[in-house]
Amino acid sequence: MIETDTLDPAIAAFITSHLSMQLAATDDAGLATAVRCVGCRVSADRRRVTLLMPRSQALPVLAGIAANGRVAVVFNEPESYRTLQLKGRDARVEAALPEDAAALLPYAAGFARNLAGLQVPEPYVRTLVSCAPDDLVAVSFTPTEAYGQTPGPRAGRRLAPGEMET
Amino acid sequence: MSTPLSLDRLRPCLEGIVPSGIATCGVDGMPNITYVSQLMYVDPEHVALSFQFFNKTRQNILANPVATVLMMDPETAARYRLTIRYLRTETAGPLFERMKAKLAGIASHEGMSGIFHLLGADVYRVQGIEALPGRELPPVQSGPALLPALRRSVDALSACQSLDGLIDGFCSSLERNFGIQHQMLLMADEPARRLYIVASRGYAHSGTGAEIPYGVGVIGVAARERVPIRIMYPSSDYAYSRMLRDQAASSELAERLETAIPLPGLPEPASQMAVPIMAGSRLVAVAYVESRQECHFGYDLEDALVALGASTGLAMAALLCAEASAEDAAEPARSLAVGVPSGEALRVRHFLRDGSVFLGDDYLIKGVAGAILWRLLSDHQRSGRREFSNRELRLDPALRLPEICDNLEARLILLQRRLQERSDCLRIEKTGRGRFRLDLARPVVLVPEEAA
Repeated sequence: MIETDTLDPAIAAFITSHLSMQLAATDDAGLATAVRCVGCRVSADRRRVTLLMPRSQALPVLAGIAANGRVAVVFNEPESYRTLQLKGRDARVEAALPEDAAALLPYAAGFARNLAGLQVPEPYVRTLVSCAPDDLVAVSFTPTEAYGQTPGPRAGRRLAPGEMET
Repeated sequence: MSTPLSLDRLRPCLEGIVPSGIATCGVDGMPNITYVSQLMYVDPEHVALSFQFFNKTRQNILANPVATVLMMDPETAARYRLTIRYLRTETAGPLFERMKAKLAGIASHEGMSGIFHLLGADVYRVQGIEALPGRELPPVQSGPALLPALRRSVDALSACQSLDGLIDGFCSSLERNFGIQHQMLLMADEPARRLYIVASRGYAHSGTGAEIPYGVGVIGVAARERVPIRIMYPSSDYAYSRMLRDQAASSELAERLETAIPLPGLPEPASQMAVPIMAGSRLVAVAYVESRQECHFGYDLEDALVALGASTGLAMAALLCAEASAEDAAEPARSLAVGVPSGEALRVRHFLRDGSVFLGDDYLIKGVAGAILWRLLSDHQRSGRREFSNRELRLDPALRLPEICDNLEARLILLQRRLQERSDCLRIEKTGRGRFRLDLARPVVLVPEEAA
C-alpha cells in the first residue's frame, strides 16, 4: 500500500516513459472491462495520475468509473518486460486538456521507439495508439496500491511505499 | 448488415505476438488488469489462458468467473474486447501440451525459459466479441492462398498409386503448393512408440531412418498427443539435439533407438510445427515443418496441413493394407536370369543383437530394416534368389513383424532409400504390388557378428 500521499519519483518517471498501458474499470454487476491508453501524466505534487484514451473505445470503462470510481492501470515497458499496476478508488472522468492532445504524437513516437527493439514497425504502433484529438478523454485518480507485475513468480506482489521494481 | 464477428477470423490476435490485457473483478469490486501473451484459440467458442502462478487474475476468476480480454490484431492493429467466462482447468492432454509448447516458445522469446512452468490450461467460454472503433492498417496478404494450395495438394495426392509415391507427393505438395522449404515426414511405429524419417526436404542430409521417440520434442509430443504442435519463436526447450541426447543418456531407449543416423533439421528454427497424420483414430505419420523466420506458421496453415494430413493418412493406411492383402494372391516369386555381380566383393556385417548392418565399415541401418536386408542377402547367398514378396517377409517369424496392416511397406521404402543414399552397388526395386527385387552390382560376403 502506498501510504504516503505522493507517488514515488521513480514510479512517476516510469509510468510517463511512453509505455504500453491499459486501464480497467468494473461495473456494479462485477464485470471488468478495459481500454488501451494513449497517454499518461502525473500531477506536479505527484498525488494524482491521469490516463488519456479514445472516448469512442472507452464507453463501458467510462460508465464504470462514473458509477464507482474504481480503476486499475497496467504499465508495461515492452523491451524490459518491467510491468507495474496502479489502483485507485477515486477515479473520475475529465475533459482532456489542450496539452493532452499535443502530447499524443510525442507519446506515439516514444512508444514506437520503445518497441523498435522488438521489430515492431512504427506505422503499426502509430495506428495502435492513434486518437482523434476531439475523441480524447481523461481519467484521473489517486493511486493507493501498486503491484509489481514483471512476468515471473514474483508477479503480482504488492510493492511497499517507495519501492520500485528493478 | 455486417456478419457477426467470429473468433475464427480473429485468431491472429491470439498468437501471443501482441500481448492481450485481461481485466477481472475482485470480490471487493476492484478491477485488476494484467498483460498475457499466452491466450490461445481453442475453438470458435473457447479460448484458453495459461495457469502458471496463483496470481490475482486467477484468484478473481475463481470467485467471479467473467472477465474481459482486450486484444490486438498483430497486422492491422484492430482492437477487440472479448467477454469470457472461466469453465475449467486442464492439467494434461492435447490442449495442455499445445499450450505448453506454445508457452515454451513465448518464454524463450521473452528471455524467460525455465521461469514458466505450466500448471494448467484455463478454458474460458467466449460470451461476446466487440470490435472497437479506431484506425486500422490494411490486412497484409502473405504466403500462398491456402485453400487453393490445399485443393491442388489433395488432387495431386489422390493420383498416387503407391506408398512411395504418396510420401514424395506429400513432400512435394508442401514444397510447391505451400512454399515450405524445410520439412520431414516421419512414419509412426506404433508398437515401438517411435517415428522414423522416410523423407525430408531442405537439408544437407536427408536423415532417412533417423528416429524420434514419442513424447520427445515437437514431433514426439504431436505423435503422443495426436495433436498439432506449433511454436512461433525459437525454443531451446524443444530443440532435438539436446532432448535426444538427454533421453539417450537416461533411458533404456538408448539401445533400441536409431541414434547412428543423425537427425536433419535447422540448428535453431525460429518457427516449428508438427502435424499428426491420422487414419481415423490411428496415427500413421507426422509431418514436421520449420523455418528460420519467427511467426511463420499460423493457425490457418495448421488447419490446412491437418486437412491435408487427414486425406493423406487415409490414403496411406489404404495403401498399407492393400499391399498386405494383395500379396495373398501373388504368385510365388521366381528368380530371373540377370547379369552376374562382378568386381571386388562387398563385406556386409550383421549384428544380431540390434539388427544393425554395416556395408564394409559404413553403418547402414538397424532394427527391422536391417534384419530384412540381412534375410534377403542370406537367401540370395544360399539360393541365388533375387525376387521376393512382402508376404514371405511378413510370415518370417525371425523378423517379428506385427500381424495386421503392419508397416512393412514403409520399412521397405526406408531400406530402399537408405541403400540409394549409402551404397552404389546394392538396391531394392519394387517389381509389383507386394513384390520387389534385390539388385547387386558386386558380389557380397556376409559376415555375422556376435556383438555390437
